Amino acid sequence: MVITVEELAQTIDHTVLKPETTRNKVKQLCEEAMTYNFAAVCINAVHVEYAVELLKDSSVKVCCVVGFPLGATLPEVKAMETRTVVALGAHEVDMVMNVGALRDENFDLVKRDVEAVVAASGDAHVKVILETGLMIDEQMVKACLICKDAGADFVKTSTGFGPMGATPHDVKIMRETVGKSMGVKAAGGIRTFKEALRIIDAGANRIGTSGGIGIIEDYRWAQYSDSWMQPDKPCWTCPSRMANIAKQPKEVYLWYKQRCLTCPDKEHNIFTD
Amino acid sequence: MSDTSQLYSQADLLYVSLSDRTITRKSIPEELTRNYLGGRGLGVKLLYDNLAPGIDPLSPENWIIFAVGPSTATSVPTAGRFVVITKSPATGTVFDSHAGGYFGAQLRRAGIAAVIVTGASESPVYLWINDDQVEIRDASKVWGMDTDVTTDELIKATDEKAQVACIGPAGENMINLAAIMTDKHRAAGRGGVGAVMGSKKLKAIVARGTKKIGVEDSEKLSTSVKRARLLIKKNGVTSKALPVYGTPVLLNVVNELGMLPTHNFQEGTFNDADGVSGEKLLERLARKNYNCYGCPIGCGRMSRARGKDVGGPEFESIWSLGPQCGINDLEWIAIANDKCNLLGIDTISVGSTIGCVMELVQRGKLEHSLKFGDTTGILEMIEDIAHARGLGAELGKGSKIFAKQYGAPELAMQVKGLEIPAYDPRGVQGHALGYATSNRGGCHLRSYLIGPEVMGSPVLVDRDSTDGKADLVILYQNLSAAMDSMVVCRFTNFAWTVDDYADMAAACTGLSIDGNELLKIGSRIWNLERMFNIREGFTRSDDALPPRFSTPLPEGASRNRVAQIDVMLPEYYSLRGWDKEGNPSSKLLKELNIPQ
Repeated sequence: MVITVEELAQTIDHTVLKPETTRNKVKQLCEEAMTYNFAAVCINAVHVEYAVELLKDSSVKVCCVVGFPLGATLPEVKAMETRTVVALGAHEVDMVMNVGALRDENFDLVKRDVEAVVAASGDAHVKVILETGLMIDEQMVKACLICKDAGADFVKTSTGFGPMGATPHDVKIMRETVGKSMGVKAAGGIRTFKEALRIIDAGANRIGTSGGIGIIEDYRWAQYSDSWMQPDKPCWTCPSRMANIAKQPKEVYLWYKQRCLTCPDKEHNIFTD
Repeated sequence: MSDTSQLYSQADLLYVSLSDRTITRKSIPEELTRNYLGGRGLGVKLLYDNLAPGIDPLSPENWIIFAVGPSTATSVPTAGRFVVITKSPATGTVFDSHAGGYFGAQLRRAGIAAVIVTGASESPVYLWINDDQVEIRDASKVWGMDTDVTTDELIKATDEKAQVACIGPAGENMINLAAIMTDKHRAAGRGGVGAVMGSKKLKAIVARGTKKIGVEDSEKLSTSVKRARLLIKKNGVTSKALPVYGTPVLLNVVNELGMLPTHNFQEGTFNDADGVSGEKLLERLARKNYNCYGCPIGCGRMSRARGKDVGGPEFESIWSLGPQCGINDLEWIAIANDKCNLLGIDTISVGSTIGCVMELVQRGKLEHSLKFGDTTGILEMIEDIAHARGLGAELGKGSKIFAKQYGAPELAMQVKGLEIPAYDPRGVQGHALGYATSNRGGCHLRSYLIGPEVMGSPVLVDRDSTDGKADLVILYQNLSAAMDSMVVCRFTNFAWTVDDYADMAAACTGLSIDGNELLKIGSRIWNLERMFNIREGFTRSDDALPPRFSTPLPEGASRNRVAQIDVMLPEYYSLRGWDKEGNPSSKLLKELNIPQ
């Protein structure tokens, strides 16, 4: 894949969503985003007003999470959050989908939830976080279709607080489902340029990460050797390998593990790599 | 744009002949900086041009060079180090050994780029460099003393702000494991460089400098340093892992991957690893961090063990005196490490050699009370090694000679006579190739592929795969050679890329150096070292690991693996531009401007 350092930087949402985040940290985040010309800063609602002020003369967007990180609040509450942060200047809203409703197959509620946020977002872009680690592939496809139907601008893999991060497998399915007209944002566990390039290759056009600077700086190594991109063992990037019964619904966990039994790369499934 | 301070190009090469006690200053030839920067590169070039092939490393014909680089004592982070370059008595190769602390900065501030010591004195001496004044002084009062006393006494005799690089009894007795110590706890440890000082009856160099150091392009340097500092702050290894735990942070990581050499590399997992880990050091012994000159990382440790303040211990020392010998007593390890510092012994080689002895005993090749897991008698044995007494005198030659002497050369875990450090090569293919091809023997720092293969820095690559590893090893070897010639700390490598080093090297020297040019300088140094070693009789057969690494580990997370050197070595030679026997081609040497 040929992508410049600058192009890679333009895919990154420079992210800080931890509860202990201070104003000083937000200031640093914004300064770094301007230095590296990242696409956006992704922050919690309490910091939106400050970030908007700091970034007012730059091209860096302010992205705010809504219904975060569980997505288990009411559509009206998510809508109100959205209206408020957009009024404060947020350019983008990353909402968390109602995952429980999706698993209940209450698709109307899932759609209404997204529509409420889209309606409240004005000119701001809406990205819908599916939390892919809580669902199987079929549910992911359904979730993508609902989001598209509800008028969202992006689908997004994960909150970073859930059971799994973004994987090329999930991103590929999401891109194939929503087509070219929507964006696909990958977030959660993306720490290196190799992971970022793989995710982009799978179809993502936005990456959420708190490690953006490391990704960009380390990408400068790529010009000195092609060997960085040597293929890894297939299990390294497979969501089935990341499945965790302590964090996932039992049937989701077992679905992932079932796939290992029929995986063509089964011989790589050793626990010493 | 330059300021009024002293530039690197204005620093001197200080030639000190101990045979006739003459001291001469020379300017650094411009092409030497352009082609080799300084530090390691400068030293290797001087040795290649001036040492006759086949000389005894412990004879007056050998030179020992203490060098700094264009970045030393500037605002470049970690640039207070110095490098010792000589022909090694342990390996017979050209050798560079590095130390942190504050000595390098003092040397540079005295207006010196390198001290080149030739000949040998008949009586013990030390060199006192006080800015432009240089004296060869009598050292008989400190001869025989440990490194801490030597340091204190020489500071008393010179200047309280001076810095000392000295040897202990091990160097005086010219054992192959002898180190050079500075600031009491920092060591140019490897290759027996301390023995070369001892052979010249040079107990110490004491330096005090007050010159202001300048660079050719201060504006460019200011920008690059600002950026370099930010990168160190943003990198998890340099901003968290190393400052919090020091280098022992690696112990649990390496153990969990089943590649922590245990019982002389018979196993790769140490059952009591947690007890000797960085986490345990922090909880039990560590008192404060130690930062070398100009270092924002602070990986060094000052600890308290058995009521005594001691330096370290570092990861490699914990391993060599601990798991390598089957020992799980962290406090004892800290004391043993301190003992090595006082006597001026390389902890890696001494621990590895004692581990080798333990296996010889285990296999009935040698009758002795030393056995795995038992600390009894080891401190005394270390004393005996330093003073070349009894069996200690034999151990002081290193594991290669010792194991051969007892009929089991395969039990010495070494390459080219230098003991291999704390990563079992069976678990990391690229790192294994780095060991085998290292110009100074079994060394983890010539190409630290533990970064990408274990720590995921800059990205994680499959540690079991041989694909692409030759390419990465060459990249790291060339970059390391350039870094060692600037002279900066290896740990910056977690945070900085090739371009960052190039920017700083260019700003310091005023030369047009980009990333590719920096790597070319590194390649030139690497190939010159190779030519030196070929001239000394080294061949392809020396680019090999001990036979143990062709046998799989029995258990742990690196089980069922062997080091696949034979798979990678041909590709390595080919990518280097060497023939099948490992000789650089004429075309390559011409390209690199290396005389044939």
